[in-house]
Amino acid sequence: MATIGAHGITARLPDGFEGRIFVRPAVVGSTYPVAQFATFALPEDTGDFGSGAVSVMGPGDVFATLFEYGPESLGTALFARQGRPATLSTTDFSPTMLRRGIPGQSGTQWFFTEAGRPFSFYAVLGSHALRASLVPRVNTLLGALGVSPAASDTPGPQWN
Amino acid sequence: MVALVLVSTFVVLVLGILVAGLLRSHADILRSLHDLGAGVGDPALDGQTQSVAAHGSAAVAVAAPGSAAPPSPAQSPPLGPAATVAGVTPSGDARAFSVTNTDGFTLLAFLSSGCATCAGFWDALQRPGVVDLPGRSRTVIVTKGPDREVPSEVRAVANGRVPVVMSTEAWIDYQVPGSPFFVLVDGSTGAKVGQGVASHVGQLADLVRRAEHDRNAPGTTGAPAGQRRGGDAGLDGPAREAAADEVLRAAGIHPGDPSLYPRTLEDVFPHGTPFPPGGSSRANGTAAARD
Repeated sequence: MATIGAHGITARLPDGFEGRIFVRPAVVGSTYPVAQFATFALPEDTGDFGSGAVSVMGPGDVFATLFEYGPESLGTALFARQGRPATLSTTDFSPTMLRRGIPGQSGTQWFFTEAGRPFSFYAVLGSHALRASLVPRVNTLLGALGVSPAASDTPGPQWN
Repeated sequence: MVALVLVSTFVVLVLGILVAGLLRSHADILRSLHDLGAGVGDPALDGQTQSVAAHGSAAVAVAAPGSAAPPSPAQSPPLGPAATVAGVTPSGDARAFSVTNTDGFTLLAFLSSGCATCAGFWDALQRPGVVDLPGRSRTVIVTKGPDREVPSEVRAVANGRVPVVMSTEAWIDYQVPGSPFFVLVDGSTGAKVGQGVASHVGQLADLVRRAEHDRNAPGTTGAPAGQRRGGDAGLDGPAREAAADEVLRAAGIHPGDPSLYPRTLEDVFPHGTPFPPGGSSRANGTAAARD
């Protein structure tokens, strides 16, 4: 089981998952960490919430993104929930929850604050009909994520 | 005088035995090296195979130009399962590639930022159209981790067209002897189907093409081309039946439902439904907005 970590987010990737944790270069203002995970080969140009990826995923695939918002979101009603959901049920997923509706798929999105950082967790199932077998994979991923209080970048060069 | 001759003869005999023993020991060592595939100084190998990696005792793939054709991946003994490649990018982000979640091939290029031989591969692998890899295959460049490579030097040779991950662990997992080194993984089976070094990039494309040809050949166990992993076509046997049952149940169609046993066209398209019916389109799934 591979483990990746950057920008204060870690993930022990469940079997079959790949992922990346990155911060987009800021064109204007600030950008914050994004963590993306998928059971298929993630295209390099995947959008924050999966555009470019959800259109190529198969019915048996899962895509998920953990998106951090700016500190101005802290304390707002949208992020009042403390901590990510421990587990999701099949009823949490709906075809109407997709950012970009693709027939057959379904999604779920949760806003919360964890370790003093505002996040949303957005997951897409490749087939709503197969949700009974796909939601446990999302739950395994959810349990494998870790968030530390302060985003910590890769240490810079150090003198030996 | 006689005693001196006897002593000299004895010494000569002892030295002769020692020399014979040394020669025999040397021969045993050479024989062992040959069995291990080292082939040092073996003129039979000169000009044929350049630094070909081996697994077990079989040489794999990537031969020099003009040499006899190397064994195809299907002809070689299995190389074993491939591990997920996880590490950091030169810019400090985290990245993990699962090489088993695709129905295509993954070409792992183990390169270094400072090795002269690697320079050509950095350039060729990241320049569009230079390496003509078959569709559904992706290339990942793997350097050693930040503990062994300077990220800024890797950044200097990476142009962003091909993903680059820095992971010393991956070098250990794939038992990389040095750079440049290449491993080809078949995503449909999760197995390494080729590994070794190459003298030019054309050999890499040829390796992937041969692996794809072998996989699609009758009698092989890999997923045939065109079958998308995870899609309906990728399911088989009970899994496919269970998936179909689940879709039907979700649509309210249970075992014994009359719609499962149509007798006429009217049963399939009742009440004047156009034939074929105007169905759903996936057009709205192709929007290009970056969200």
